[in-house]
Amino acid sequence: MILVAAKNLARHRVRNALAILGIAVAAALLLDMVMLAGGMERSFERMLLSRGYQIRLAPKGTLPFDTEATLPGAAALSARLRADPRVRAAGAVLGGALFTVSGDSLLPLAGLGVEPEGQGLYELDRGADLVPGDTTGIVISATVAAATGWRSGDTVRIISGTDPQIARASSERRLVVRGVVHWLYAARGQRTVGIALPLMRRLNRAAGDRASMIMVKVTRDQDVEPVASDIRRLAPAVEVNSVTTLVARFRTRLTYFRQLSLILGTISLFVGILLVTTLLTITVNERRGEIATLRAIGVSRGGIVRRVLLEGALLTLAGNVIGLLLGLATARYLDGILTSFPGLPAAISFFVPERGAVLRAAAALLVAGSIAGAWPAWRAARAPIAATLREEAT
Amino acid sequence: MNAAPVLLEAHDLVKAFRLGTRSVRALGGVSVAVRQGEYVGISGPSGSGKSTLLHILGGLDAQDSGTVSLEGVALDRLTDSALTRLRLLRMGFIFQRFHLLPVLTSLENVELPMAEAGVGRAERQERARELLRYVGLSERADHRATQLSGGEMQRVAIARALANRPALLLADEPTGELDLSTGRQILELFRRMNDDGMTLVVVTHDEHLAREAGRSIHLLDGRIDPVPNAQSPVPAR
Repeated sequence: MILVAAKNLARHRVRNALAILGIAVAAALLLDMVMLAGGMERSFERMLLSRGYQIRLAPKGTLPFDTEATLPGAAALSARLRADPRVRAAGAVLGGALFTVSGDSLLPLAGLGVEPEGQGLYELDRGADLVPGDTTGIVISATVAAATGWRSGDTVRIISGTDPQIARASSERRLVVRGVVHWLYAARGQRTVGIALPLMRRLNRAAGDRASMIMVKVTRDQDVEPVASDIRRLAPAVEVNSVTTLVARFRTRLTYFRQLSLILGTISLFVGILLVTTLLTITVNERRGEIATLRAIGVSRGGIVRRVLLEGALLTLAGNVIGLLLGLATARYLDGILTSFPGLPAAISFFVPERGAVLRAAAALLVAGSIAGAWPAWRAARAPIAATLREEAT
Repeated sequence: MNAAPVLLEAHDLVKAFRLGTRSVRALGGVSVAVRQGEYVGISGPSGSGKSTLLHILGGLDAQDSGTVSLEGVALDRLTDSALTRLRLLRMGFIFQRFHLLPVLTSLENVELPMAEAGVGRAERQERARELLRYVGLSERADHRATQLSGGEMQRVAIARALANRPALLLADEPTGELDLSTGRQILELFRRMNDDGMTLVVVTHDEHLAREAGRSIHLLDGRIDPVPNAQSPVPAR
C-alpha cells in the first residue's frame, strides 16, 4: 500500500515536490520555534553547570556579574564555605579592567582574579594552569593570544589602575603566560585574561578582601537547595542563587519569548496542515472516478481512508526530512546572528538542537499531516459510488 | 425451461433522482431475476434507467423501494461494510472507462481485489497471471495501465473483475469506449466466460450488442419494455 501511495504521489511530481517544499518550510519553522522555546533555557543551564558549580554568591542585584559591586570579606566567606563538608569546592572571583601595551597604545583586557583551587570560569585548552599562590602567572583566551601573539611561556606586561583621563598606569607587572584557556562565560571576541585572586587584588588596590562573586560546588551526594538555604542564613547580606533558581528566574524572563515561539510554531503547524489538506483534497477530487471504482470493486471505506491518509503521511514525512535539515541549517544561521549581540556569553545558544525537541517537532508535524488528510480521506470514503461513476461516464 | 437456481433477484425496484426541485423517476417498478449461468443484456436508450438498474443490482446505489437479493441475501439489509465485502467476494464489476489504477501494472491491478480480500501474495500473483492469460494479455502483465490500449485496459478490468471468483459479473457499457472490432473481441470474451459458467449482466445502449446475450431486457422510461422493437426477450438458456 505504501508503494502504491508513493506511486500515486509520483503522478504529479512538480505539484507534490512544491507541496513537500512548503511542508518542509513549515517543518523547519516549527523545529526552529521548538528549539528556540526551550533552547535558551537549556543552553543557559548547561552553561552555568559546565564546571559543576551549582551555587553563586554575589552582591544583591548584581547577577550575572558586576565588576563594580563587590562582596566584602570574600576570603573569609570562601574559607568558611570550603570548611563545610557538603561543599566540594568554592572559589571567589574578582573582575577588573587590565591593559597591556600593543604598539604605542594600550590594549584593554577583561581581567578575572580566580582561586585556581576552586575556579568555575574556564577550562584549560593548552599549556599549564594557574596554581594556588601563583603570583607571576597569567592564563589568556585564544582571542587574546590572537590579538597579541602571546604564547605559553612568554613574559608579558600587564597594567592596571589606569586613569582613563590621563592614561597613566598605577600598577604594572610582568607576568608569564601559563596557558591558553577557554572562558565559559565570555562574550564572543572578548579579550579575557585570568590571574590569581591575590594578584588581582594587589593590581586593583581598592579591592581589599573583596570579590565580585563566589562559586560553590556541592558534593555529589548532597542536594543543592538545602546547602544554598544554609549559605543564605550564613550570609544574609549576600544574594545566594542555585542554578535551579537562576534558571527559574531566567525562564520567567523568557516567558514572552516562549509564547512568541509557541504562536509562530502553531502557525507553521497550521500552514503544514492546510498545505496537506489542500493538496489531498485536489488529489481526491481528481481521482473521484478511481476511488468510486475501488469502492465498487470492494475496497472498504477504511481502505480508502487508509490510502488517502498514507499519501498525506508520506508527503509530511518527506517534508519533515527536508524540513529537519532546513531547520537545523536555519537555526545555525540565526544562532550565529543572535549570539553575536555584544555582551552575550559566546557559550549561550538560542537554538539548541536536542533530540527530544527535534522528535517532538517531527512527531507534531507527522500527526498534524495525518490529521490533515482526515477530511479529504473522509470525503473520498463517503462519496456516493453510483453518482460518481455516472458523472465520470458523462 | 432453465432449472438453474436464481442468483440475483430484484423485485419492484423504484428509484428517483432529485434534479433541483424536480424529482425524476429513473426506475418505476422493475423486477428481474437472473439465474446462475445466465448472460443477460440490458439495453435501452440514454436515460432509460439501465445504468441505475445495474448500480442497484450491484449494491452501488440504494433503491427508494423494492428489494434486491443476491444468493438469497437482501442487499438493503446489509451494512455498508458487509455490502462492500459482498461486492468484493461475490460480484465483479466492469465499467465503460475501465478505471484501472494507472500507477499499477496489469498484474498489480488484477491482484488488487485479491489483496483487499487478504489473499497471500504468491497465490494472488499466480491467479492474476492465470487470469491475464485467460483474457489474452499474459505478455502485458508487467505493463502499466497507461501503456495499454483501450481494449487491453478493458481486458485487464475483466481479469480484475474475475479475481475473487465472483458469482456474478456486472458490466456497464463495457464497449462504450472501444472501436467496433475491439468491442466485438470483448463481447466474444464475455461469451466465452458465460460458456465457462459465469453469470453476466451487461448494460449497453446498443441493441445489437444486447442481443448477443442469452437474454435481453429492454428498458424504456424506467420500465421493462415488453415488446422492444417487436423483438421478444430471449428466453434464458
